[in-house]
Amino acid sequence: MLLVLLLGLPFAGSIAAAFFPANARNAEAWLAAGVAAGGLAIAGSFYPQMAYGQVLRFELEWLPAFGLSFTLRMDGFAWMFTGLVTGVGFLVVLYARYYMSPADPVPRFFSFFLAFMGSMLGVVLSGNLIQLVFFWELTSLFSFLLIGYWHQNAAARDGARMALFITSAGGLCLFAGALVLGRIVGSYELDALLASGERIRGHALYVPALILVLLGAFTKSAQFPFHFWLPHAMAAPTPVSAYLHSAAMVKLGVFLIARLWPVMSGTDAWMWTVGIVGLCSLLLGAYAAIFQHDLKGLLAYSTISHLGLITVLLGLNSALAAVAAVFHILNHATFKASLFMAAGVIDHESGTRDIRRLNGLYRFMPITATLAMVAAAAMAGVPLLNGFLSKEMFFAESLTVEGPVETLNRALRFIAVLWGMFSVAYSLRFIHGVFFGQPAAGLPRTPKEPPRWMRFPIELLVLACLVVGILPAITIGPILDVGVRALLGAEAPAYSLAVWHGFTVPLVMSLIALAGGALLYVLLQGFLRRGVEKIPLFPPVDGRRIFDRVLVALSWRWARGLDALLGTRKLQPQLRWALAAALLAGLWPVWQRGLQWGPLPSSEIHPALALAWAVGAVCALGAAWQAKFHRLVALILAGGAGLVVCLTFVWFSAPDLALTQLLVEIVTAVLLLLGLRWLPKRVPFVWTAAGARAALPRRVRDLAIAAASGAGLAAIAYAVMTRPLPDNPISRYFMERAYPEGGGTNVVNVILVDFRGFDTLGEIAVLGVVGLAVFALLRRFRPAPESTEPPPQQKEQSAASAAEDLLVPAIIMRLMFPAMALLAVYLLLRGHNLPGGGFVAGLTLATGVILQYMAGGTRWAESRLAIRPVRWIGVGLLLAAATGAGSLLFAHPFLTSHTAHLHLALFGELHVPSAFFFDLGVFSLVVGATGLVLIALAHQSIRD
Amino acid sequence: MSLWTEHLVIAPVVVPLAAGALLLLYDERRRKLKAAIGLASLAVQLGAAVALLARATTIPAQVYALGDWPAPFGIVLVADRLSAMMLLLAAVLGIAALVFSLARWHRAGPRFHSLVQFLLMGLNGAFLTGDLFNLFVFFELMLVASYALALHGSGTARVRESLHYIVINLTASLFFLIGAALLYGVTGTLNMADLAMRIPQVPAEDRVLVEVGAAILAIAFLVKAAMWPLGFWLPSTYAAAAAPAAAMFSILSKVGVYAVLRLWLLLFGGAAGAELLLYGGMATIAYGVSGMLAAQTLGRLAGFNLIVSSGTLLAAIGAGQAAATGAALYYLLVSTLGSAAFFLLIELVERARTPGADVLAVTAAAFGVGDEETEPEEEAGVAIPATMALLGLSFACCALLAAGLPPLPGFLAKFALLAALLAPDPVPGVAWALLVLLTLSGLAAVVAMGRSGVRIFWATTTSPPRVRLIEMAPVAALLALCLALTVAAGPAMNYLNDTARALYAPGGYIENVLTP
Amino acid sequence: MELIVALGIGVLAGCGVWLVLRPRTFQVVIGLSLFSYAVNLLIFIMGWVRGGRAPIVGTSAPVDVASFTDPLPQALVLTAIVISFATTALLLVVLLAARGLTGTDHVDGREPEE
Repeated sequence: MLLVLLLGLPFAGSIAAAFFPANARNAEAWLAAGVAAGGLAIAGSFYPQMAYGQVLRFELEWLPAFGLSFTLRMDGFAWMFTGLVTGVGFLVVLYARYYMSPADPVPRFFSFFLAFMGSMLGVVLSGNLIQLVFFWELTSLFSFLLIGYWHQNAAARDGARMALFITSAGGLCLFAGALVLGRIVGSYELDALLASGERIRGHALYVPALILVLLGAFTKSAQFPFHFWLPHAMAAPTPVSAYLHSAAMVKLGVFLIARLWPVMSGTDAWMWTVGIVGLCSLLLGAYAAIFQHDLKGLLAYSTISHLGLITVLLGLNSALAAVAAVFHILNHATFKASLFMAAGVIDHESGTRDIRRLNGLYRFMPITATLAMVAAAAMAGVPLLNGFLSKEMFFAESLTVEGPVETLNRALRFIAVLWGMFSVAYSLRFIHGVFFGQPAAGLPRTPKEPPRWMRFPIELLVLACLVVGILPAITIGPILDVGVRALLGAEAPAYSLAVWHGFTVPLVMSLIALAGGALLYVLLQGFLRRGVEKIPLFPPVDGRRIFDRVLVALSWRWARGLDALLGTRKLQPQLRWALAAALLAGLWPVWQRGLQWGPLPSSEIHPALALAWAVGAVCALGAAWQAKFHRLVALILAGGAGLVVCLTFVWFSAPDLALTQLLVEIVTAVLLLLGLRWLPKRVPFVWTAAGARAALPRRVRDLAIAAASGAGLAAIAYAVMTRPLPDNPISRYFMERAYPEGGGTNVVNVILVDFRGFDTLGEIAVLGVVGLAVFALLRRFRPAPESTEPPPQQKEQSAASAAEDLLVPAIIMRLMFPAMALLAVYLLLRGHNLPGGGFVAGLTLATGVILQYMAGGTRWAESRLAIRPVRWIGVGLLLAAATGAGSLLFAHPFLTSHTAHLHLALFGELHVPSAFFFDLGVFSLVVGATGLVLIALAHQSIRD
Repeated sequence: MSLWTEHLVIAPVVVPLAAGALLLLYDERRRKLKAAIGLASLAVQLGAAVALLARATTIPAQVYALGDWPAPFGIVLVADRLSAMMLLLAAVLGIAALVFSLARWHRAGPRFHSLVQFLLMGLNGAFLTGDLFNLFVFFELMLVASYALALHGSGTARVRESLHYIVINLTASLFFLIGAALLYGVTGTLNMADLAMRIPQVPAEDRVLVEVGAAILAIAFLVKAAMWPLGFWLPSTYAAAAAPAAAMFSILSKVGVYAVLRLWLLLFGGAAGAELLLYGGMATIAYGVSGMLAAQTLGRLAGFNLIVSSGTLLAAIGAGQAAATGAALYYLLVSTLGSAAFFLLIELVERARTPGADVLAVTAAAFGVGDEETEPEEEAGVAIPATMALLGLSFACCALLAAGLPPLPGFLAKFALLAALLAPDPVPGVAWALLVLLTLSGLAAVVAMGRSGVRIFWATTTSPPRVRLIEMAPVAALLALCLALTVAAGPAMNYLNDTARALYAPGGYIENVLTP
Repeated sequence: MELIVALGIGVLAGCGVWLVLRPRTFQVVIGLSLFSYAVNLLIFIMGWVRGGRAPIVGTSAPVDVASFTDPLPQALVLTAIVISFATTALLLVVLLAARGLTGTDHVDGREPEE
């Protein structure tokens, strides 16, 4: 349970911190420090169990379906890291309290910081891989936010962005790796994983898994070739850098490598990848560090190099080396944290971090200087300091390495010494360059000692360096022991932590390194004084430039290219794709199975209909031909084709269809006519050979698609028509029950209003929505400038009084309205038994209305018949819905119809099926919607 | 059974219909009343959806015979686990969008509230109906309402993009009709369950017609689902649409996926055409990724993000395993909520900014404009005003969702999906391909969103936008819902896995529908 | 006869598709309506019965089902007609609006480059 507290504390603290006022530096600091200290205390309280090598576990079901549970697992190694994270975290908080200026919005800082600490603990304590990745990505996120804390300057933004992209890319690789590992082991639980080392190493997927996981680790701990984000991350506030570089972010990578050491190491693949990458970072970092002029830059590169060291040690496939690695993780944390803090102090007090400008600060800040020097000495691996011990271990290992390549094994010891020299050199530069020489002039501020408590963390850490350095066995010994035994288990080798192992080869190597390093520094003086921003005998590659270039190329140029290649924003290609897709989809089965006609013989040809169809085909073709230049003609021709369809319906005994089709034809034609006026005049077509040639391939392609679609549809139709109908109980059911149960003899209508009334309900809703949409659109209608000019005829009309020349037809049309209204009612009433019905009736009435508009013009019409179309729509829908819902009252499902038998004096017995009211709703809606559309359009056309 | 439970299934269709019609009777000036009616109707829909969800866990399929005509003769509504889930999702999105619109959008054009109700009616009907042609009708209703909403607020861009949207979807609707007609012509039925029974009995020489019909039908659905190369219309249309409309639309493309899932598994047992879905989905992911990176406005970015999610879904479904499908459904929930939140958020963010800043974001990141020490280095941070912080947080959440990073459930969705895909032995090659693609898409999302995020929230020091609570609340709520899905991943996943299994073994569904 | 109707459907569909692929909005509208004629006919002929009577039954049961054409496709076509009518109207208005706002009747709202 304490584990949950341990993990939950930082996150809770982070949320709390976010709500503090912007200037509450102290309160924030107390909170954060309290959280960190609490965590440390909890961790400390676990020591007894840890010492006995127990493993604490807390489990919560999370995603059982995929064998994933929320597991916290603390063994010695995790415990060690917990101590590191919380301990250093505590000191950093203390330091930050004094470092952050009162102007800084500290709530954000401490909130992010605590969340980051929490995510770190999450990774360390994760009991399964997926959860580990979960928190891993969180650390990427929060480090991004912390690095970008001072986001008003570009360096911070870019540094943060780079860190985010690289580390989260690595995180995604790690995620993939974790999935593969889980696949190999058959479980994501860490215990299962640690138990099945043999299986993993033997598995075919071992190498891919290894590479993926290592990509994650290397990006995190800034190993070559992903090292370059780390120096740019120093744009963060110094406390953040101190934390990221010493105990947090970068240590995660090596944490992971160490975690997987028992199960994945021991192979050549492991040694090649981990070892080589480590070596590169080791040398490159140390060498580059010498030539940095920015204090934090120097420290950043030394971090790269020291993490390289840890990686190498883990890559040597030897248990002792692993011990050294774990030991160095601790040592590096102590001295690097203190150094960063010191650098921050110098920056804070003197206003610059540039070694070229800093000189002889010893006079101004002797104590800080001393502390910094001790820490730097530890970094250089001077005896009696902790750095020395782990370095000795490394040297010792470098002598006995057993890699696949003999020459490399031999070379390692020299590389080690070289590295030692480099580290000494840059440590010297740090000390000598900053604190000695004559006092610097022209600094932004005159340096002085920092506040007491700002220095306190540094003092503490330096003290640790010393104590560990002098009395390793009794100070760090037990802690290291716990960590190592938990990590290596049975393989844990015997090792001795002592300052003096006698006059051994490693000692000699150290001495050579010290001397050589000093010598190197002296030799380089001349070059360094010139203070140029370059690293000698080193290709001038700037990681960030390359990174940006690559990023741009991939994520911008290529992406745009691909987007343009794969996509389009034009309509025609899209339609071409869609139609082609449908065509292929239709052809595929035919290709597979072949399509044969049905058995039925073709019935004899009626010349009349055949002739009609000939006309129809010509109409269609003509419409297709003329639609571009002679819209009116095309419109009429299309109407002709529609009429032929209509005729076909009549011929094959579908009167309802014919009637509806006819009316729809008329109304659509009227609509289009009203619309035509607003379309631009088509410029007379000038035929140019070039234009035609350019258009030719497109036209041919379209023609092919069109022809193929037509042929396909025709073939399908014919294949269907020559087949007998399938045995179809459903239609029979309808035919038989239409009258007895549906209360109507016109089966189609009964289907519409009863059997499948629900379709009709949806359909009228569609119509209604269209009405609304049209209304909304035309309210804002802005005609194109050139077509606002009213057409000549209209001018004449308005000149001569409109009524005159249109008098006779106008009167006729006016008289027609009542007639049509009557017809509509008639159609509505007979609908249930004979062709007709609400829809047809509605269209009729709407047509009647529009006729009035044509006859008398808008004003006249609206002054006489006041229609509120939207209201009609609403009422219609409600009526239909209510009719349907009515049956609910009789505990029947929605839309169940009843037939009421009324006795009326004059009419006698009258059957009124409830479906009739439904149809009435349809009628009302159709009138409303159609009327709305027509009127809205008419308004536009008649505006003047 | 009480009246309520008995007629529960019809409520999601009738309630919005009645509300929408009622709203038409009130004149535009009655804003408060209209909002109240709309929200009330949505509340009822939400309640109904929850109730149906609860019942669906016990009854494989709750059948409602309209007009008391038994299946396969009349039209039936069928609420199973999948439909119930989709209903719930639709209701949630509807509420979020409606509340958001109350700030200003519902005034941008006439009859907004009715249109929202009709859109929901169409969606719910499509999710519930068990009849192929009825599905067509509700598709049309949903689409027509979406046309109207896409046009809501008018303006050149909206009208131009809507024109494309409408033309393409009208074509697709004709495909739908062709397919449905063929299926009816050969089998003589329209009821889905009945179709599932009869298609196996179709004589061999007629089978080709069934397959032609099904294939053309599939194209119609895939156009809606925006599978490459049928989905080019999506980003522009959604980017142009008003924020609440776009938020609602983020479920529209999922309707296509729903239809594929339902019919493909019910009628063909997920056998034929799996490759089409799988490879089509992968192509869609690739296209979406390239689009996300190339997008110059947040709107298009969000649109392409939606395309990526569509592709992921199709590919996951095409993999043809119940477990993967379950994971895909989880992903569907998450990505829909996330992209809806994103669409809403974009409008709030855009308010703070000068147009064209996105272009800057890309080119600046590209050519290192304004880097180095050109800018003054003041060593004290600027306090982000609360709204900006809130917007930034939400943006980060959307980015995490899009990239599938923790702590938002996009991560779990991807994990579940990949874990399911990698489970079989030996691991199929496409599983690896999909693993790579998903990783890349995640990375692309990080890059694209990170790039614009840094520019918007860090690089520009514009005064924070004036954002009202009722605009921020829906975004926050949607994201909170996502977080809840992370925590409650276990139960959710169990439900969805059952859903997937039921889809792969539709016996219970068919039986419940066909036995009155 | 079947052949003629089939060919008719084919011609209508072909012309429709051709027009749908044209660059001018008006062409697209006409194209869509031609295409929808074809589709409506296709649905209709799914209930094709040679010499079948119109499905209007007498009040005197029983009904000799075989002599009627299948009513269901007719009902479907009716619905389809209505919906295509509605969407055509909407499309028309949208294209008018587009024409008004963009100043051109090209489907992409801007005249092609060449």
